[in-house]
Amino acid sequence: MTATALELSNIDMHYGYVRALDGIDIAVRQGEVLGLLGDNGAGKSTLLKVMSGAHQPTSGEIRVHGTAATFGSPADATHAGIQMVYQDLALVDAQDIATNLNLGREILRRGPLGWLGFVDHKAQRRRSAAELEKLGVRTAAVTRPVEMLSGGQRQVVALARGATRVNGEQSGILLLDEPTAALGYEQTQQVQSLIRRLADQGVACVLVTHNLPLAMAVCDRIAVLNRGRKVADIPAAETENDHLVGWITGARASMFAPAPEAAA
Amino acid sequence: MTVTIAAAKAVNAEKDKDPALIRWLIFVRDRGIFVLWAVLLIAFSIWASPYFASLDNGILIANAAALTAIFAAGIAVGIICGALDLSIPGTAALAGCVCGWLITHGTPTGLAIVVALVLGGFVGLINGLISLRGFNPIIVTIGTLSVMSGAAAGIAGGYTISGLDSLVFMGTDRFAGLPAPVWITAALFALLTVFLTRTRDGIRMMAVGGNAEAVRRSGIHADRYKVLGFVISGFCAALGGLVTTALVTEANPAANVSIIFNALTAVALAGVSLAGGRGSLPRVLVGALILGTISNALTIKGVSPYWATATTGLLLLGSLAVEKWVSTTVSRRLVQHEVKR
Repeated sequence: MTATALELSNIDMHYGYVRALDGIDIAVRQGEVLGLLGDNGAGKSTLLKVMSGAHQPTSGEIRVHGTAATFGSPADATHAGIQMVYQDLALVDAQDIATNLNLGREILRRGPLGWLGFVDHKAQRRRSAAELEKLGVRTAAVTRPVEMLSGGQRQVVALARGATRVNGEQSGILLLDEPTAALGYEQTQQVQSLIRRLADQGVACVLVTHNLPLAMAVCDRIAVLNRGRKVADIPAAETENDHLVGWITGARASMFAPAPEAAA
Repeated sequence: MTVTIAAAKAVNAEKDKDPALIRWLIFVRDRGIFVLWAVLLIAFSIWASPYFASLDNGILIANAAALTAIFAAGIAVGIICGALDLSIPGTAALAGCVCGWLITHGTPTGLAIVVALVLGGFVGLINGLISLRGFNPIIVTIGTLSVMSGAAAGIAGGYTISGLDSLVFMGTDRFAGLPAPVWITAALFALLTVFLTRTRDGIRMMAVGGNAEAVRRSGIHADRYKVLGFVISGFCAALGGLVTTALVTEANPAANVSIIFNALTAVALAGVSLAGGRGSLPRVLVGALILGTISNALTIKGVSPYWATATTGLLLLGSLAVEKWVSTTVSRRLVQHEVKR
């Protein structure tokens, strides 16, 4: 398979006396969707925050495309080609889709107007439409304000914003926190196929979710966390719902435990 | 929003267009106030005929609305960027007094005006920097309101500074038939509209008002744009203070708090949400013009000015109702649309 995009080895994360993460080794390859499952408080979100640079691990090593990296802030991670799509989406409701997608990487007009900071709205709309086309999503006209979109369409826009920023010259890494938490069945399907398409274009995706059917449908590989430890890391095709539930609840012994009793 | 001719062409070029009803609703929300003004103008032309519908009366309305409009621009930029700036009357009084003091102490008029405007921006900078420390901007600006009006009174020695005749060129003088405040207002609104809708910094500023977190996550220093909003607001306040001073050729150190309510009415009529992030300056200008139009027509018909205030209040409530109706209708339509697909 293709090269490893993001690799975390031996990550520890302590909050005071609490061990939120305990010796986590995890890696995701280009074009792969890695599902991150676990009960509330198992450490999924903490791990995702370590990946996105929002938290600094107590110890451990992070490698992006094979080079060691230290993230002091989310901006560092963004710079390294990692984008996070947050559960709260963080879209500017009053602005249209194109403006949202272009925020922070605006196209300026040529000539003197550009020097004054004038934005080329036309070019931005064209680029956004092309990017959405490439992702294969049809939401609404890119001039539609986000506040006039349904929940599913907003999620697609938020995903597309992350995707367009990692989908540049070198394929990046996209972190997704519960992308379907607020969505209905059909919208979930839509988001699911979008994630799949991104992976097919070479983007490495890490997906945190509570939704087991979604994880089984969209992920290539699934890792399960339980109380800060990785208890399973297995191709989605080689596992089944019951096993996953067992690992999540702790009823099933860890794949990595040397002996069954150590799993507790 | 920023739907221009160029944008309209771009929309036509889109393969997937919004349903007609939704486009119509967006039109009502974004352009409704222009229609309202047109309706008012036609109705008053008939009702208050023949005095209302004349060019001279039009100029009168524009001149009366100019001052409200300048302060409304300051309020609107503040709100769009996410903070209600209540220090505007204080900044206005201070700018007027500083300019007056400088002129009476031998400073050239031009320099005095520039100093007063820069001072307004500086007050905005202070407001912004304090607010960034996590204090509520409303309380912060109430504080600076008191500080500024106190400082203005201190500079003026408690009395009005009179005899500022060199300022009439921005007060009662006319250029090409239009009074100076109308020109100033037009220039200010043109500049700010272009800034907010066409330039990178303006667009980011509006985005910060709408969702600062979204802007921050896009790798932009959101705080800078917040401060910029206060600076522009302070500049508008100083400009309004100068025009007020120029109109009466006297600088009054007393902060006139009622200008906030006039300006705020115009802003609210224009559908600028207090939650921030949305609103357009042309609409704010029309909001100020509507206030001027109503009081003008009622004055012509000899109706007591109290009724002008009451009518404005009713219009404001009506515009809230329309806004609510548009947004609920749109969301309902969108859900149906989604289900159909």
